[in-house]
Amino acid sequence: MIDEHPVEDLAAYTLGSLEGTERVRVEEHAVACAACAARLREYQGVVGALPLGLAPVSPPSEAWESIRAAARARRARRRRWAGPVSLPNWLRVARWPAVAAALAVLLIWNVTLQRELVRRAPGPGPEVEALSRRPGRIVILTGTGQPGASARIFVAVDGGGHLAVSGLVPLPRGRTYQLWFVRTGAPAVTGATFGVDAYRRAWVKVAVPASLDDVRTIVITEEPASGSPTPTGMHLLEALPWR
Amino acid sequence: MRLGDETALEALYARYGGLVFTLALRIVGDPELAREVLQDTFLRSWDGRETYDPRRGRVPWWLMGIARNRAVDLLRSRPHQARLREQERLPSGAHAGEPAHPGTADAVVLRRAVTDALERLSGAQREAIELAYYGGLTQAEIARHLGQPLGTIKSRTREAMERLRSLLEPRIGRTGKIGTTP
Repeated sequence: MIDEHPVEDLAAYTLGSLEGTERVRVEEHAVACAACAARLREYQGVVGALPLGLAPVSPPSEAWESIRAAARARRARRRRWAGPVSLPNWLRVARWPAVAAALAVLLIWNVTLQRELVRRAPGPGPEVEALSRRPGRIVILTGTGQPGASARIFVAVDGGGHLAVSGLVPLPRGRTYQLWFVRTGAPAVTGATFGVDAYRRAWVKVAVPASLDDVRTIVITEEPASGSPTPTGMHLLEALPWR
Repeated sequence: MRLGDETALEALYARYGGLVFTLALRIVGDPELAREVLQDTFLRSWDGRETYDPRRGRVPWWLMGIARNRAVDLLRSRPHQARLREQERLPSGAHAGEPAHPGTADAVVLRRAVTDALERLSGAQREAIELAYYGGLTQAEIARHLGQPLGTIKSRTREAMERLRSLLEPRIGRTGKIGTTP
């Protein structure tokens, strides 16, 4: 059954002028109501055209050069993270044992971290602990946009999951972290919004999409406190490669 | 751009850089901050190009959404509030910066249509739209700001949007595509 049409809120939604709960109500309604979804698209066209009503002002002439330089720097940084590395011969021989050792360290670190998370108060709630005991898979996110940050998402085979994050900077009032499942050929869906504690950690219950088959990657961005309908912040953490 | 092609980013900037800067300047009222928003917007679009979803909205909506979010964040930030207190805010329509070239004939026509449509709103309707979009205020905040009931503000916003939609539909189409001509 479709809820009553949120007619009064559709315009405010496209203007980014709704509080969090009202925004979520519109989004949930629009998923099931083609008429309201169509009206939202029409309103989005109007809102997208609003800046045309302003007296146009040219950006400073050097602005593009700054943007290009920053984009190149980011691309170079990504390549350093993901690109092929030319290894000396002795290291090529040693790399597989090194990888095995690294995995062992990672495993030990995971176990240690899990114990530490359980030991420290306030830790994850009973609901999260119950989730973690179910069979499932773990996806590791690395700090592509915030070096030093990391996260693990546990996805249970029977649905649901939780997220454990460390190393994210506490945000000022009015901002939130938001987890996204980025899909191929469909809108990115949000899994959770959250803040971190003074130790830069968070444990969060995650709404996992019914199917992960079309999920291309999982990212965490910084967004306004009410959450964003689509990712607009830079990718602070990212699961790469996914699968 | 999804492939990381720099020329695509440049083309995107050439087409929408002026509009993003104009929007950012209108919201934050400071050319330096507007430039910061401009750079952030295009870098975030560059970083987030894989998350762009055509079904969710067209490229200009996506870019304007990023720019507006970033500009409103800056507008609400404490350092910015302090800065605005220190320097008198530039009046609307008199921002520092170079006036832009009017652009193509289509762009001029569309700009005229949007300006005319906004002028045909009542003062109260235009105020509701501007406080929401450029001021970054929620409906509840606008109601408090104007001392009006929340329901009145929501109705006013909806009526304004409906009027804009009916006035602009011949120019932007039912799908909201910007830049089409009738």
